[in-house]
Amino acid sequence: MLLSAQMSFGQKCDLILRGKILHQENDDPIEAAYVWILETRTGAVSDQNGNFVIRGLCPGTYTITVQFLGHKEIRQSVNLTGSSTAQTFRMEEESLDLTGVEVHGHREAVQTTTAVTSLYGEAMLQARGESLGESLKRVAGVTTFSTGNTISKPVIHGLHSNRIMILNNGIRLEGQQWGAEHAPEIDPFLADEITVIKGAETVRFGPEAMGGVILVNPPALPTSKKHLTEIHLLGASNGYMGNLSASHLGGSDKIKGLGYRVQGSVKRAGNVKSPNYYQANTGMSEYNFSSSLGYSSDRLGAEAYYSFFNTELGILRDSHTGNLSDLINIIENGEPFTKADFTYEINNPKQVVSHHLAKIKSHYHLNPEWKLNLQYGFQLNNRQEFDRRRGELNSRPSLDLELITNTLDLFVDHTIKTNWSGSIGLNVIQQANSNIPGTGVTPLIPNYEMFNGGIFAMEKYLKGPLELEGGVRYDYRQVSAARYVGNELQTADLDYQNFSAFVGGLYQLSPYFAFTSNLGTAWRPPNVNELFSQGLHHGAAAVEIGDPDLVSENSLKWVNGLEYESEKALVEFTVYANQIKNYIYLNPTGETFVSLRGTFNVYEYLQADAFFYGFDLSGSYTFSDRLNGYLKGSIIRAKNTEADNYFPFIPSDRMDWGVSYAFGKSSNPESDRITFSNVLVAQQKREPDFDLAPAPPAYALFNIGYQKKFQLAKNQFNVGFQINNIFNTEYREYMNRFRYFTADMGRNILLKLNYQF
Amino acid sequence: MQNFRKLPVYLVAAFTLGIVSCESDDPTPENEGEVITNVVLNFQELDASNNPVGTPVSFSAIDPEGIEVGATPTIQTINLKKGKNYRMTIAVTNSIEGEDISAEILEEADEHQFFFLGTAFTGNIMTIAYNDPSGKLIGLQNRLAVSSSPGTNNAQMRVVLRHDLDKNFPGATNPNFQNFEQAGGETDLDITFPVVINN
Repeated sequence: MLLSAQMSFGQKCDLILRGKILHQENDDPIEAAYVWILETRTGAVSDQNGNFVIRGLCPGTYTITVQFLGHKEIRQSVNLTGSSTAQTFRMEEESLDLTGVEVHGHREAVQTTTAVTSLYGEAMLQARGESLGESLKRVAGVTTFSTGNTISKPVIHGLHSNRIMILNNGIRLEGQQWGAEHAPEIDPFLADEITVIKGAETVRFGPEAMGGVILVNPPALPTSKKHLTEIHLLGASNGYMGNLSASHLGGSDKIKGLGYRVQGSVKRAGNVKSPNYYQANTGMSEYNFSSSLGYSSDRLGAEAYYSFFNTELGILRDSHTGNLSDLINIIENGEPFTKADFTYEINNPKQVVSHHLAKIKSHYHLNPEWKLNLQYGFQLNNRQEFDRRRGELNSRPSLDLELITNTLDLFVDHTIKTNWSGSIGLNVIQQANSNIPGTGVTPLIPNYEMFNGGIFAMEKYLKGPLELEGGVRYDYRQVSAARYVGNELQTADLDYQNFSAFVGGLYQLSPYFAFTSNLGTAWRPPNVNELFSQGLHHGAAAVEIGDPDLVSENSLKWVNGLEYESEKALVEFTVYANQIKNYIYLNPTGETFVSLRGTFNVYEYLQADAFFYGFDLSGSYTFSDRLNGYLKGSIIRAKNTEADNYFPFIPSDRMDWGVSYAFGKSSNPESDRITFSNVLVAQQKREPDFDLAPAPPAYALFNIGYQKKFQLAKNQFNVGFQINNIFNTEYREYMNRFRYFTADMGRNILLKLNYQF
Repeated sequence: MQNFRKLPVYLVAAFTLGIVSCESDDPTPENEGEVITNVVLNFQELDASNNPVGTPVSFSAIDPEGIEVGATPTIQTINLKKGKNYRMTIAVTNSIEGEDISAEILEEADEHQFFFLGTAFTGNIMTIAYNDPSGKLIGLQNRLAVSSSPGTNNAQMRVVLRHDLDKNFPGATNPNFQNFEQAGGETDLDITFPVVINN
C-alpha cells in the first residue's frame, strides 16, 4: 500500500476526497466521525451534515478508516486516479451485548430532497398552547385557513384540507378533513418535533399529499434505563385559557431496549375577546391522551401506540345565519349583533369531535442492508355538529358522522453500504363512513366505503456531496356511496387510478451551501363532499351542489431550495411552482335560491386548471453572543388559468421579523432572552370575482416574549412570558372565514411554565 | 439471506390485518325535523266590539320540499278589505313530518318572535299589534287594522320569524321593528306576501 502511494510520486498532488458519513439504521448524518488515511496520516472530522473533505492527495490507492463511538469501524481502500472522488460511508452500530453502548433510537429521519423544516426545542416551547395550525405558522410558507379563533387548518404553499397530509406518528390522519371548519384532530403536545415537507410527496405517503406533508412525531422511546418527566402549565389572558400537559418517558432497566411514554393534556378556554367586544360562544375544551410502548434490539424494533383526541368547540353565535339578508346585515354591521360577556359556557352552534388512533409497528433487520417494516393503524373519528334548532332538536346534532379507517403499510428498506438506498412497498387504506341516524337533517355527505391500494418503489443514490433520488407509485381507489334524499335511495360506485412519480436531487456545494431540487407529480381523487354535497351551509348562507362526475386532480410540483448555514447566518430560500390539472373549487353560480327561509347564494363544485407559484424565505443572523435577528416571509400566487381569475382564500403576502437579546450571565447568556417581533400582512389584492365582502386591509402586529431558563441540578425549569398583539390592534385576517363577522383576537398575554425532571 | 425466512411471517401478519376491514352502515332516510313547508295567515274580521264577523279567510306560502334545492315556494296574494279590523293568526307546519311548528314556537316563546315589515306598514295602509293570548310578544296572534283611505291598493307584507333573539333589545317590542337583526339571532322564515286592498 505504502508502495503504491509512493509510486505516484512526481504526479500532481491536488486531488480531493469528499465523503458523507451516515447511520446505516436510518440514514441520519453522523457528526464528528473521524476519517483517517493510513498512508498519508491525514484525516478529517465530519460536519453536522456528515460531510468531510480531505485535500492535497496524490493519485494512488489509500486505506481509509472511519470511526465513531458505538459504531463498527469501517476500513476500506479507495483508489484515487486523475480526478477527485466522493464516497458515502454507512456506519453500523456495535452489537448490543457490549456494555455501555446506547442503542440508537429507531425514529426514522425524513429522507427527501424536498424543502423540509422542523419545529423543535425552543421554537416548540414557544408554540406550546397553540393548535397545530397556529404552531406551524412559525414555518415560512405555512399559513392557516381558519374559522374563528378556535379552528385552524394548516396551509402549505396555498393548499390545505385534503390537498395536504398530516401524519400522527407515521399514520396518515383520517378525519373529516374535507370541511373548511374541521380542524385536524391532533394534540400538538404529543409531539416534541413537527416537520413540514413542502413538496409533492404522493409516492412516499400516498394520494392527497399534493401540497405537502406534516409529520407530528413524539420523541423516540428510550432504549436504556432513563426517566424523563415533563410538565407544561400555560395560561392566557384572552379567553382565560388554561392548558396543562404532562408526559413521562421511561426506559426499562430490566429489559434492555424496552421503553414507554405516556402523555396527556387538558385545555379550557372561554369567549375570545376582539379589541372592542367579546365574541359570543367561542369557548373550547379539549382533553387528549397518548401512550406508546416500544422494544428495540439490534435486529428487531416494535412499537405500539395509541392516541386519543377529544374536543368541544363553540362556534361564534352570529356566524350561523338564517339566510342571505342575515348575512348581508351582519357584514354591513361590521361586528356581531349578539353582545356577550366572558363565559366558559359552550352553547350551540358547536362541534364535538373525538378521534382514536392506534397503531402497531415493527421492523426487522434481515441483514445489515435490508430491513422489513410493517405498520398497521386503526382510526375511529366521531364528529358531531350542533346548530341552533327548535325544541328537542336543539340537543341533537345536525351532523353526526363516524369514520373508521384501517391503514396498512408493508415495505422493505435497503441501504447498501456505499451509495444506494431505497424502499419498495405496498400501502392499503380501507375506510367506512356512516351517518348516525336521528339528526333530523338529510346528511351532507353519504355513507361510503373506500378502498385504496398502492404500490411504490423509490431509490436514492448518494455520492459524497451529491444525492439523487427518484420513485414511482401506482394507486387504485374504489368508493361506493349510498344515501337517502327524502325517501329515494341514491347510490354511486366510483373508481380512480393513478401513477405518480418524482425525481429529486441535493448537492452540498460547500460545507455551508446546499442546493435541492425536486419535481414530483401528485394526485387527489375528488372528495365525497365535492361529489355529493347538496344542501345548505349555514355559515355561508349558501346552497352547495356537488358533482358526481368530477375527476381526479393531478399536479406537478417543482420545489427548489437553497440553504446557507454558517456559524453566524442561516438562510433558507425555497421557490416552487405547482401546476394542478382539474383543481376542484367551489364556484358561486351567481344565482340565488328562494325558500320560505329567505334567499341563499348557490355554489357549485367545478374543475379548472390552476397554477400556484411563490417563494418562502427564512433567515437568521447572530450579531453577537447576545444579539440575534430573524426574518421570515412568503409570497404565493394562485390563478385559475382557464378563467384567468383568482381563487378565494389564498394567503396574502406576509413577513415576520424580530430581534432577540440574551442578557443572562456571561457564562450562560441564553438563560435570559427577550424577543421583540413584528408580523406584517399585506392586503390580498388578487381577489376572486365574487366574494361576500372585500379582502380586509393590511395589518401589522407587534409581539414581545421573554424566556428564562433555570437549571436546578439535573432538572430544567423554563418560564416564558409573551404578549401577542401588544397594541390590541383591531384586524381581520383574509384567511379567516369569520372575517365577515368579527375582528380577530385582540391582545393576549401568556405565561408558559415548563419543568423537566 | 437466511433471514428472508422471516418474510412469510410478516406477510401472514399483513394479510391477517388486511382482512379486518370495516363496512359502513346502510343509510336510513332521515326525518326532516327542522323544515317548514306551510305558513298560513288566517284573517278573521272583527266588529267594533271585537266579535268575529263572517268566515275567516286564509292565505298561504307553501314549499312542499322544505329547504331542498330546486323548488320555489308558492305564495298567495293577501286580499283584505278597506277600513276593517282583523285578528290575524299564523299557523306554521312541517307537512312532511306532519308537525305543528306553531306549537313549538309557542313553547319557546322566549326565543321566537315574528316581525311584520314591508310597504303595507310603512305606507299608512295598515297597522299591526301583537295580541298573543299569553301576553308574550310572539306574533302568532295579532290585531290588524286596514286604513279606510289607503294611498294605494297594492302593497307587500314581509313576515319574518326570528329565533334566538334578545327580546329585551330596545325597539324589539315593536312588531314593525325595522332593525330586528340588531337584536341578534337568526331568521327561520322570511316571506314576502303581495297584499291587495279591496273596497
